[in-house]
Amino acid sequence: MAVYPVARTEEIPEGTFKIVQIEGRSIGVYNVKGEYYAINNYCPHQGAELCKGPVCGTTLESQVYEFIYGRDREILRCPWHGWEFDIKTGKSLFSDKVRARSYPVIEEDGQIGIVIGQPKQREGTEGC
Amino acid sequence: MLKDKQETMPVIDCDVHNQFRGGGDLLPYLDEPWRSQAARFGVPSAGAPYASPVGNKRKDADPPSGLPVGSDPAFMLEHYVNPFNVEYALLCSDSIIGISGFADPDYAAAICRAYNDYVIAEWFPVSSKFKGYMCVAMQDPAQAVREIERIAPHPDIVAVCVIGGSRMPYGDRYFHPIYEACQRHQLPLLIHPGAEGGGIFNPPTAVGYVSNYLQWHTCLPQTYMAHLVSLVCEGVFEKYPEFKVVLCEGGVTWLPPLLWRLDKNFKALRSSAPWLKRMPSEYVRDHCFMTTQPIEEPNNLKHLDMMFEMFDAENMLLFSSDYPHWDFDDPTQILRRLPEEKKRKIFSENARKLFRL
Ligand code: FES
Repeated sequence: MAVYPVARTEEIPEGTFKIVQIEGRSIGVYNVKGEYYAINNYCPHQGAELCKGPVCGTTLESQVYEFIYGRDREILRCPWHGWEFDIKTGKSLFSDKVRARSYPVIEEDGQIGIVIGQPKQREGTEGC
Repeated sequence: MLKDKQETMPVIDCDVHNQFRGGGDLLPYLDEPWRSQAARFGVPSAGAPYASPVGNKRKDADPPSGLPVGSDPAFMLEHYVNPFNVEYALLCSDSIIGISGFADPDYAAAICRAYNDYVIAEWFPVSSKFKGYMCVAMQDPAQAVREIERIAPHPDIVAVCVIGGSRMPYGDRYFHPIYEACQRHQLPLLIHPGAEGGGIFNPPTAVGYVSNYLQWHTCLPQTYMAHLVSLVCEGVFEKYPEFKVVLCEGGVTWLPPLLWRLDKNFKALRSSAPWLKRMPSEYVRDHCFMTTQPIEEPNNLKHLDMMFEMFDAENMLLFSSDYPHWDFDDPTQILRRLPEEKKRKIFSENARKLFRL
């Protein structure tokens, strides 16, 4: 496992993201409401550059004919076919099995680091 | 930056959408009195009566020029056509494709004339990789025929495009003069979805209007099933033995069970269509094509292989991406399991033959 420093916190203010390259991977580092998350810039469906998609909210579980908007700015929607992913975990919203790879993020002294190659890396682990 | 593309075979993409830069693009090509009218009030259209939560375009296809998605031919070449090894991008109008849903037949015919002149003047000259489809308005077959006579001889026009939405099934005798003109000019008719249930069209499903885009888009094959059964049983392919039809963007895997049902019924009910000399499915095999996108994606991909074995997929399918629309299929990602030879036919050779490229 290795921690890759990728940005200073002030480079990625709340509501923004930065794309970084680590060992040939393109990874989006998102600041969601003050917390940092790293998600692979590759959609597990047909391989679009996921981080070109909009960050948005979505409709929450609800009763029939009820629309409850929520999770504002926590969802990344693929720019191609619109699949929705939870930025915090990389999980798609329609199946636990379908997910974009996500990486643990470490924030220390104003420095953001991404953890890569953790032994038996658990995809979708939330930032520590 | 483009992601690394695996080595790809040449592609003839049978569904690429070219968009206008703005409402004014058609004006120079529009006849009066519509030109003055459109200059003052814009070009109205009869679109689908549904809004999609993801919109209709890819979110990563905006030209750097700031022009609308799909409206910048140079960027289309750079972003899609060249990197994906697309030999020909067959252009299918974006926003006027549903013009047959507009109530005024003369207005609709004028828009089609303008569009056809526009695509010939402003898109085809940009690259030899651009060829495409002329549009006709189905409200008035006589004007549609005149337009085919006028435009068909252009070497970059390879088919006549109409929308799936309709006031009646496409086998109806009302439309036959259009098919006769298509045959005369060796142009296939390409049916593209997009405005089912809009304007003067019938509802998009046999039971009426579904509530939203999710349901509407899923049910599009219904319309195609009805058009296809009608085209075959009304004897269109007996009357016009060289006429070909492309069912574009309407799904693929519904075809085999429909044809089983049709053939079975024909064995008992043949006397209703005594002009058919072969099994209905044989007409479909010989006269009809389907484009691949959006390809069905069963969880078990072997099931798609099986569906392909149930009809003449390798000769009837034509690759399409639908670039730059939201349900784009990446040619390097889909149908990867197909053997090379079949894939080559579907990705380019079938289209080359059909459109005489
Ligand atoms: S490539 Fe991302 S949803 Fe299809």
